Amino acid sequence: MNLALVAIVLAIGAGAVLAVSTRDGAASATGLAVALVASALLSDPLPSAAVLAVRVVAALLVATMIRSAVRSGPRQPSPVGWPSEALLATAGAVAGLGLAVGLASAAAAGGLGLGLPGIGDAGPGGPVEPGGTALTSMALITAAGTSLLALGAAPLVHGRPGTRRAIGLVLVTQAVLLLRIGVAGPAVELEEIAREGLLVVAGATGAALAIATAGSMPAREDGERSGT
Amino acid sequence: MTLLILAAVALGTGIATILVSGERRSLALAIGLVGSLVVLALALAMPDTESLIIGGVGMISTPVVRAMAVAWSASLAVLGLLEIAVGGRPTVVGPSLVGLAVAGLALATRDPASSMAALAAGGVAGVVVPGLAGWLDGPDMPSRLPTTSRGTLAILGSGLLALAVIAWGASPAGPLGGGGRISIDPAAQLSLGLALLVIVAAVAIRTGLIPLHVWAARFMEGVSPLAIPAAFAWGSAAFVLVALDWSQVFLGPAAAGDAERLLIIFLALTSVVLGGLAAMVHDDVEHVLGYSILQDAGVALLAFASLEPGVVAAARNWLVASATVKTALAAWATVVRTTYGGHRLDDLGGWARHSPALGVAFAGILVAAIGLPNMALFQARTDLVASAMPGIGQILALFIAAMPAIYLGRIAIAGLAPVSPAVAAGMSGRPRWRGGRAVGWSEGPLTQAIRAIPGELRANRAPLMALGVLALAVMALLTATGGAGG
Repeated sequence: MNLALVAIVLAIGAGAVLAVSTRDGAASATGLAVALVASALLSDPLPSAAVLAVRVVAALLVATMIRSAVRSGPRQPSPVGWPSEALLATAGAVAGLGLAVGLASAAAAGGLGLGLPGIGDAGPGGPVEPGGTALTSMALITAAGTSLLALGAAPLVHGRPGTRRAIGLVLVTQAVLLLRIGVAGPAVELEEIAREGLLVVAGATGAALAIATAGSMPAREDGERSGT
Repeated sequence: MTLLILAAVALGTGIATILVSGERRSLALAIGLVGSLVVLALALAMPDTESLIIGGVGMISTPVVRAMAVAWSASLAVLGLLEIAVGGRPTVVGPSLVGLAVAGLALATRDPASSMAALAAGGVAGVVVPGLAGWLDGPDMPSRLPTTSRGTLAILGSGLLALAVIAWGASPAGPLGGGGRISIDPAAQLSLGLALLVIVAAVAIRTGLIPLHVWAARFMEGVSPLAIPAAFAWGSAAFVLVALDWSQVFLGPAAAGDAERLLIIFLALTSVVLGGLAAMVHDDVEHVLGYSILQDAGVALLAFASLEPGVVAAARNWLVASATVKTALAAWATVVRTTYGGHRLDDLGGWARHSPALGVAFAGILVAAIGLPNMALFQARTDLVASAMPGIGQILALFIAAMPAIYLGRIAIAGLAPVSPAVAAGMSGRPRWRGGRAVGWSEGPLTQAIRAIPGELRANRAPLMALGVLALAVMALLTATGGAGG
């Protein structure tokens, strides 16, 4: 088990919990930036410098756009509070680990060659036995993906229109992108560009809709605007 | 390489058009129009087969990619001219150019995950830009933001769902074992069928098939009809083509077992029948356009019920041809609305008598939408239906072909009726010459002629728009006849 990867997964979860639960717009954007940049680093081994740069730039761009949307819209903290969100993220991560272990067991039981560094890899102790998979980088990536999915799904589907929904959209998009790698292995360079383009578009769309929603609302007291 | 240049030009001019459209309408329209024409030239110059490797992935421009790029960019150039004539904030050409760029790249790329991610990213502009800036009844309409939001979720959600199932297919533990089809035992068959149903669900969400059509219906009635082809006809066609290619290559015909086939046919026929009926009973042209596009998507979905190579080829022809036809119909609906102010059949009595060029164009659209035996569109529809339902398919295909004859026929009959007061009060659809001499202008004849051009164009706005629709109708007939080279 790579401790650095575990720390990155924890940073992703912490950032995402902060993003969806805080009342402070700046803190929300900061949490999102932490989650997205950490997601960019969640890889073992790290990708090439160019791919890494594309990932980090996309993450920061998305966080900046969401920050601009947060500034113009009303505050939308989590209705259940950060402890509940943290528990939800933990549950999602555990489910992801279970999914990774299940996939590895299925692959090992089927006698399939995996061909990928990650789930089901033969560890130092010998070949993988069904049900005996080590906690590998792919499992951690899957766990991070399901954790973000658990956190982002509720704001995206049931949240009021605005910044909270935008954050949910970004988190769910990042979750699927992580799950894609966790389940099927590393992406080629062209897909990396397309993936980051999709993330940026999700952020831009969420921000544009949040700003339009804020603009269509009747004038509110200054205190309800997070940027003031 | 030509495809890359085409995509770069389309993406650059599309984004530039979107960015400047809020402040400088004329500049945005000029950029969009120039971009459309350059892209059309590049599409015409693009060889049928060309390949290169980018970022570790092969990109091959096939006849289908070329046919789609030519048809889409040509119709886009005409839509750009129509957008100039119609007025208002430009919300059509920019998103369409972005959609064209990503669709071309996605269809040429040999990596389905890259294609899906690109399509999801590029398709959003077609909904967000018209939704936020081009709502016809004004920005204060309560349906605007929820509809745009749902549309965004549908397009991004379908892309993410497709991405997930593609990842599942590439997983070592997925139905394909990560590297090609594995032996078909009951468990593997179940996994393949499940993967097929998930990609079909993504297609249903993306195309707004019934019963997932509510946001699509609200969107189509809210924005200019000119914005509909990029979001639905072309955008959906590209998505279906990529999904179909992936399903055929990675899942294969064996994935469509009896249960999966029945479910897909049921979903497709629901949209075909109910979409056709809805188009028949609605009186406003936007609903007719919208439901006819849903019906077309339902027909295309039938390809997933067999996934045989011949059927997939038919689906390619069908998707490209029907998108071209619906683009022409969208242009017709916009021009009618701009010319006569109304969009309900009751208000459009005698529209074809009042504007003969528009009537001729609509006749072409009608023929292209129904198709004639030996036309690619007609044959593709027959192949799709017959392959999904051997035995009754041929008869059912005729029944489906009759539906556009009814709902478009109603519009044609209204056009031949006596001219209604609303149509009579609209702009004249017949060309007229104002005299060509500006008052007080006394210089030479060439200068006079140049000076007279803007005035003549303004005076003949309606017939010129009708000519644009006529050009699109000719394009629709050509594509319906020749198909996409699939």
